[in-house]
Amino acid sequence: MGLIQFKEINVRFKDHVIFENFNMNVMKGEKVLLSAPSGKGKSTLFKLLLGFQKVDHGDIIFNGKQLEKDTLKYFRLNIGYVSQDVDLRNQKVWDSMMEIFSYKHNRHIKVTKQKVIDLIAYFNLSTDIIDKEVKQLSGGERQRLGLIICILLDRDVWLLDEITSGLDKDMKERVVDYVLKQNKTILIISHDKIWSKNDLIRIEEW
Amino acid sequence: MKGEEISYLSILNLLFLIVPIMIINYKLHMGINKKMLYAIGRMGIQLSLVGIFLQYIFNLNNPYVNACYLVFMIIVASFSAAKSANLSIKKFIIPLFFAFIIPNVVVLLFFNTFVTRLDELFSAQYMIPIGGMLLGNSLSGNIICINSFYKGIRENEKAYLYSLSLSGNKIEALIPYFKSSILASINPTIASIETIGLVSLPGMMTGQILGGAVPLTAIKYQIAIMIAILIARYFSTILSILFTAHKAFDDNDILHT
Repeated sequence: MGLIQFKEINVRFKDHVIFENFNMNVMKGEKVLLSAPSGKGKSTLFKLLLGFQKVDHGDIIFNGKQLEKDTLKYFRLNIGYVSQDVDLRNQKVWDSMMEIFSYKHNRHIKVTKQKVIDLIAYFNLSTDIIDKEVKQLSGGERQRLGLIICILLDRDVWLLDEITSGLDKDMKERVVDYVLKQNKTILIISHDKIWSKNDLIRIEEW
Repeated sequence: MKGEEISYLSILNLLFLIVPIMIINYKLHMGINKKMLYAIGRMGIQLSLVGIFLQYIFNLNNPYVNACYLVFMIIVASFSAAKSANLSIKKFIIPLFFAFIIPNVVVLLFFNTFVTRLDELFSAQYMIPIGGMLLGNSLSGNIICINSFYKGIRENEKAYLYSLSLSGNKIEALIPYFKSSILASINPTIASIETIGLVSLPGMMTGQILGGAVPLTAIKYQIAIMIAILIARYFSTILSILFTAHKAFDDNDILHT
């Protein structure tokens, strides 16, 4: 039985059908690349899983729990999400991170400045990034920042929405390499060929 | 000491000074003469009716009637807040009503008990004008804060959802918007407290002085009322968000206003 299951999902926006009897099964530890044309609901699938959008019909199951009012929190708290634009409110990067790790559920995570700086260095960001305002960051810097936050949160499932589009070739490789090495269940949305070329990836097409 | 009574006829004298404005408007094709005269006429009728009504209530000075009048003002304020903030009346009128009535009545009764030290807490002469000033200020504060709060979330929906995914907790994700909307509501009041009297005399003080009070009495009332306004507005602001937010988000913490 899969860790994440979408069962006979129907979703429509007004007259536009996004999903009709959609099924998907993700096993624990799998790295799955979602592949579908634009507008076919790849990002929507992430939003459904986090309860940001509702299905018209069908069941979403995560770790044996069906998504509903009472289990919503479990879904959100065990899924690390990197949204397409890493939508952080504008404030200093460091303040933003401190806010995230002051949330009740994240408080137990020990985030030291050294740990952050190591990750920043690993992903080739300059250390002064933590003193910058979020809106000063480039697209690629935000994507790496989002990934770093996701890594520090250390949740079991990662949803990564276009985290390599703003990076140069070497950095794409480094990110892909890092992500695929993780002992996590990871769903990936990306237009970068570099993901699909990798053997560790299962491609889910629709 | 009693202020000079003015007659309706003497008010009409002011209209002579409106004539040049109308001529300029006409020459410049500004097209606001009709609107301006309508507004003045409407104000005249409106305030005359309010005057007659208030005179009646003051003469009667029945605590129950006074309290009812206050509640009536609060209901009007609630509708007006919902309308100005584009909130559905059906869904939000009751939360707004409580957001107005709780802090305003508490502050008003506190004011009448400990500041003016009235024997009759519900005396029309104090309750209605002071209640009106508190309410009027809470109203503008609530409109600012509700607008800022829901607009902030709507315009930054992605950021809100992202923080929801990081925190899993609606309250934590909403706190930044909550804080900035309280600031938006309270900052203008703090600014006006700071500069009051330097540029223009506040309305209540002017009224009292014209009504025959000595300036030293008038400023004491003004100081007290400004503090009371700040308190009522602050709590009304907070409650207006807490009470409406209760209905504005669905089970999945998504905003629906």
